[in-house]
Amino acid sequence: MTCEEFQRVLPENWGGHTVEQKEHLKSCSACSELVSDLNAISDQAGLLQASEEPCPRVWSSIEIALRQEGLIHEPQPLRSLVPALPRWRAAWLMPLAAAFLMAFGVLVFERGTGRPQLAQQPPAPSPAMTAGVRLDRGLSVLAEDEQLLKLMAARAPALKAAYESDLRAVDSYIRDAELSARDNPNDEVAQRYLMNAYEQRAMVYQMALDRSLP
Amino acid sequence: MQQSIRHAARLSTVLILAVAAFAANEVRKDYHFKVGHRSSVSVINQYGPISVKPATGHHVVVTAILHSDKVEVYESQSGNRVSVLSHLLPGADAESGRVDYEVQVPADASVTLHSTTGPLHAERLHGDVILEGNTANVDVRDVNAGHVHVKTLDGPVTLTNITDGHVEITSVSGDVALKSVTGPFVQVNSSSGRIQYDGDFGSGGQYELTSHTGDIEATAPAYASIDVTARSEQGKVENDFPLNPSHTSFVVRAGSAFAGTVGKAASSVKLFSFSGKIHLRKR
Repeated sequence: MTCEEFQRVLPENWGGHTVEQKEHLKSCSACSELVSDLNAISDQAGLLQASEEPCPRVWSSIEIALRQEGLIHEPQPLRSLVPALPRWRAAWLMPLAAAFLMAFGVLVFERGTGRPQLAQQPPAPSPAMTAGVRLDRGLSVLAEDEQLLKLMAARAPALKAAYESDLRAVDSYIRDAELSARDNPNDEVAQRYLMNAYEQRAMVYQMALDRSLP
Repeated sequence: MQQSIRHAARLSTVLILAVAAFAANEVRKDYHFKVGHRSSVSVINQYGPISVKPATGHHVVVTAILHSDKVEVYESQSGNRVSVLSHLLPGADAESGRVDYEVQVPADASVTLHSTTGPLHAERLHGDVILEGNTANVDVRDVNAGHVHVKTLDGPVTLTNITDGHVEITSVSGDVALKSVTGPFVQVNSSSGRIQYDGDFGSGGQYELTSHTGDIEATAPAYASIDVTARSEQGKVENDFPLNPSHTSFVVRAGSAFAGTVGKAASSVKLFSFSGKIHLRKR
């Protein structure tokens, strides 16, 4: 059995291998490592299901971030990524992508809840930053927003809706400003938008955290 | 007839008693502080209005109406600095934690006011005025030669007759209206709020009004002396003034940007919106 044959039938035989496949695994370190990695991901995904689930906003934000990065071209839900790929790759990427997104989202979400310094102003963005870095920061920003909203819900529930709306507006401003600054790195006005957008975000956080509410 | 009069009288009595009972929960407290020149006064209030007016002499007079026993007022003075703070007790909410402040300060005092709900009002001062409120309606008028810094989330901001001011306003979605506001530095940073300026832009100042989605409308007289630059990335721009061309750091596309000078171009005026409309009107 060749590696290609093994990998082609692997999704169908997930959880149990034939004698032929087992023999191939013994002789092929690459396929063996692959199966080992997939098992690990599958186990972790199972554990994650039991942990705290991020709110739908985190997932939709991941989708928005992916769309902004050009990874999703059609205005369709995130799952539309998979059918667009060739069948053999889709079989591999389905569990991998799902587990990765889930692990990444939850990781960022949970790390965010442990951060003591919410009011820190985000770092000034560079127009040359990579798509991955932007996606990472986008998720981080959302996790911080979620954390702030949780805090507001606990301390001043009446204000939560207003803060949510304001954060959405400010994040939208930041996204537009970042794109504009990236496309026009020498444009002073684009830089001005970016600074103003971040100033607004800092203000929202400062107001939320300065209050000596009960 | 007599019966209905008796009925009305009984109803009035009940109403008066009800109002009296309600008012009984309110507590009025007065505080007096003697201060020197250029004192500093701060009032931090979670819920409720703060109004500041000039006092006669060098006194700070604070009147606080507490709406329940779930809120306390802490006050302190350290030299020329006076602080007043509403302290919420457990269980307090926007109604029971409300305190209404009326404050009189020397006209040259620097004033800092915070209130989540507001409204915030300051008038006839010539010291610095720093106001901050989430949903607070902010109204500042007749301030001369001071810094006027305002921050709100949703609260609308109105500045009237501010002269020789260093003005900085940041609001996420509150509308901002500037009427007869002039000074060496006037800056408004808004996300979705509408920005309106009505004045002559003074002489020698820098004016920068910026928004994300909010419209910007500036109205100036024909005699205004300005070097104006306006640009909207996705919105329209309109201009009623005949402009003498001037240099810009970006390419001016008709309909989405304009730039030029009026008169001697004493003040610099920058109007930038990402997707809002911009209109420079001639009065």
